[in-house]
Amino acid sequence: MKTYSTKPADIERQWHVIDASDKILGRLATQIASLLMGKHKPIFTPHLDTGDYVVVINAEKVRVTGNKAKQKLYYRHTGYPGGLKSVTLEKLMETHPTRALEHAVKGMLPHTRLGNSMRKKLKVYAGDTHPHVAQTNITQP
Amino acid sequence: MPRVKRGMTSHRRHKKILALTKGHRASKHSLIRRASESMAKSLYYAYVHRRERKGDMRRLWILRINAASRAQGLKYGQFMNYLRESGIDINRKMLADMAVREPEAFSSLVTTAKEKVQA
Repeated sequence: MKTYSTKPADIERQWHVIDASDKILGRLATQIASLLMGKHKPIFTPHLDTGDYVVVINAEKVRVTGNKAKQKLYYRHTGYPGGLKSVTLEKLMETHPTRALEHAVKGMLPHTRLGNSMRKKLKVYAGDTHPHVAQTNITQP
Repeated sequence: MPRVKRGMTSHRRHKKILALTKGHRASKHSLIRRASESMAKSLYYAYVHRRERKGDMRRLWILRINAASRAQGLKYGQFMNYLRESGIDINRKMLADMAVREPEAFSSLVTTAKEKVQA
């Protein structure tokens, strides 16, 4: 008797809608990451993407604890000498309200091609509406 | 007596090695020196990973049992503890298989384990 191995055709993908308002950034990101990876399903198979789609609304209202809004820094490098730029979480939320959550989830997914395909199933929106209303199999928050 | 030319045995030995390194990257499947290093490594990895596979599978079963039992409101550790206390002796491989192929049987197992312990 062999352990069950999922075939790509056996994977059924649901859509989850998550309201991010007043949720803690990292704690929300772990939940989203495990849904995207499919760790909540008994058919989870490591070499396949068995995860669901996740739609996040109100991403601009996500919270952090302590002084992280002022102190947490996001770094990027322009490629030029001395080109390391940094921006605080507060500033990042003003300019790109969805980016902090996307970044947090990205760090929790596998850094592989499989991880990239998992990441494409995450749709983050700053406001309280999303365009995926036509999806069947979708849960409401 | 016929004349014997050299090279026959070493050619046969090389052919055996190159047959084993078919599909390896770059020069590792064509040049005999690179190929023999590559063959030694690959056979060693195969040996080690056959042994590692036992643990890998157990990890996968535990992950699947955890996913299925969390859907019933029990964490993996709690579920296994309940099973042990209620005297249900099913191994992880079968539990994981039940979770995939017989979800109803699995959920009734969770409820019986819960009831037996809490009673």
